[in-house]
Amino acid sequence: MKKTGGRDHTGRIRVRGIGGGHKRRYRMIDFQRLRYEEGAPRQPFTEKVINVRYDPCRSADIALVAGGNRKRWIIATENMQPGDIIKNSSHIGRMAVSANEGDAYPLGALPVGTLICNLESHPGKGAQYIRAAGTCGVLLRKVNGTAIVQLPSKRHMQVLETCVATVGRVSNVDHNKRVIGKAGRNRWLGKRPHTGLWHRKGGWAGRKIKPLPPMKSYVNLPRVSAQE
Amino acid sequence: MALRRAGAVARSHGIPTTPTRGILTRAAPPRPRGPLPRTPWTTRGPPPEELARVVERRPVREQVELDTITYAGRQHYVPGLARPRFPPWDRGWHDPWHSPGPRYEEMPLYKERGCYICHQGVRMLEGVRQAQWLTKTKLVEGLPPPVLSIIANPAHQLEEHEEGVKRAISHARFWDTTEVAPRREHYCPVLFEDLIHLCRLMSVKYPFLTRRMLARNYKISATWERESILLQVRGLNGILMNSVSPIPPVASKEEILATEGHVLETFYPISPTIDLQEVNVYQELNDTGFRDGYPYSHPHTLFFLESANIRPKRFRPEQLRAKMLMFAFGNALAKAKVLYGNDPKVLEQPVVVQSIGTDGQLFQFMVFQLNTTDLVSSDGIKNLVWIDADQNLYEKAQCIPEVKKRVVTKPAGIYGFQPDTFKKFLALYLHGTV
Repeated sequence: MKKTGGRDHTGRIRVRGIGGGHKRRYRMIDFQRLRYEEGAPRQPFTEKVINVRYDPCRSADIALVAGGNRKRWIIATENMQPGDIIKNSSHIGRMAVSANEGDAYPLGALPVGTLICNLESHPGKGAQYIRAAGTCGVLLRKVNGTAIVQLPSKRHMQVLETCVATVGRVSNVDHNKRVIGKAGRNRWLGKRPHTGLWHRKGGWAGRKIKPLPPMKSYVNLPRVSAQE
Repeated sequence: MALRRAGAVARSHGIPTTPTRGILTRAAPPRPRGPLPRTPWTTRGPPPEELARVVERRPVREQVELDTITYAGRQHYVPGLARPRFPPWDRGWHDPWHSPGPRYEEMPLYKERGCYICHQGVRMLEGVRQAQWLTKTKLVEGLPPPVLSIIANPAHQLEEHEEGVKRAISHARFWDTTEVAPRREHYCPVLFEDLIHLCRLMSVKYPFLTRRMLARNYKISATWERESILLQVRGLNGILMNSVSPIPPVASKEEILATEGHVLETFYPISPTIDLQEVNVYQELNDTGFRDGYPYSHPHTLFFLESANIRPKRFRPEQLRAKMLMFAFGNALAKAKVLYGNDPKVLEQPVVVQSIGTDGQLFQFMVFQLNTTDLVSSDGIKNLVWIDADQNLYEKAQCIPEVKKRVVTKPAGIYGFQPDTFKKFLALYLHGTV
């Protein structure tokens, strides 16, 4: 993948502190777990994990899964092993399913309190939340066709219950315990050093007690159309 | 002091000053505040309402474009003027290197029904299991009894073959190069040529062995149907040794009838056609690659000189065996269709094709017997394959002597030589003649 060096399309520095590092090869990850194969019926389908490997472009590990005539990369969950069978389903039944780790279900089908990852904000958009190594969210409650999920930042998020999420915790749990060891290793990762200029400590230093930000809602509630 | 005064002057004149605290880090515009967009913008693009609005706007836009002033006349970019749109450039003559060919749908060979093609670049994920399902074959470990009896019979052995084989290995690995160690692409064909040369020495004893021919770069095509899937084996494959007379059937009639009870292995979430190439432009052709009247018309042995990488995710020995099975089957099927016609039926005289794969060290031996060309259903008589996998001819060829503390601990040479592997090679060569 081409490195940006923190520059945007006009060539200006947009994010400072980025540049250099080892060259990385991109593997196209399918974040939409519930992507049916072309021509296949829109039914729950299963896939087999072929191998789980490191990915330089993200902190989590990735898994190569095969099902039907197709192979694709997905984000691996904590205990995913080669040879595992994982399930993808869009069906929301009356009873909550007892899901195994690595399966993908809509939030409405899962029991309350399940640990989930790879959550999407709109149905069919592809997972954009809870993808970093070792993270997981909690399905708190299901209200009126929507589901409320606690993100790893403890913020609450309300999405439609048809949004698909993977059950379990993202792989590479010990990602936060690794020791960088030296400044040069951060450079390998493409991070540039901080400025050495002395700044007086201001209000940013010290403990802050902030209230939790309000719940993030991705639900389009039906508009009141009585007046029209 | 002067600075502060300048600031005071500015303030008194009413010029707004922007207080810059710290360092300006982000040149980005502020993030939009307020409610989130109500329409679900998916990765596939804008939602339908938004698209509909764009479509509605289009005629007006076209009308406007008639009057837009572009910077085409200026011949350079001018801010504020529209970008000129030119018709696609036409060369004026047909250049075969720089012209998009016809679309697949307009090709004469285009068909609605897709066909799965196994060619030389295919690496099958499930290996032999998958090839077995595709070719409706029952697997037997080890070599068949007729070949084993040739190995056991000392009359069919070459005199002093061990020295000859060691010389062949040394030739391939040590002598036939100016570099320190030749690469696999170089030594593998050399070793193959030397071993075939050793086998040819047997033609003094058996003159019928001279009626053989090696064919390289021939193209095979065989078409068959398997449970509503159309399959093909196509294109270049290994080096084929032809013979004048066919190999007699390996398995007896009872063994062939006993395969009816065998159940083919499936691997459910994965489709059997995974990793095969699906095409819509194809020709349903059965061709052995040789013209009618070619005297050496019977395929005898296929040789594959391929890498068998031990690293996972590469082309492993398992995938090599699958490829050997597919192409041995393809050759047998093409020959059977020439001999017995295109109708699917149980063959009276089964077609036997052997296959040997090597990477210059590791050998895979295979004997394939085509019992039936009725492949549509999974019931009935199956084909048979005998596989003897992963036979090392030698453990290691040390090109540079290993020196530790100025003492040669391991001189250069061949280590772990296994003469049995060559005996199997020779037996497969003699099979059908002896």
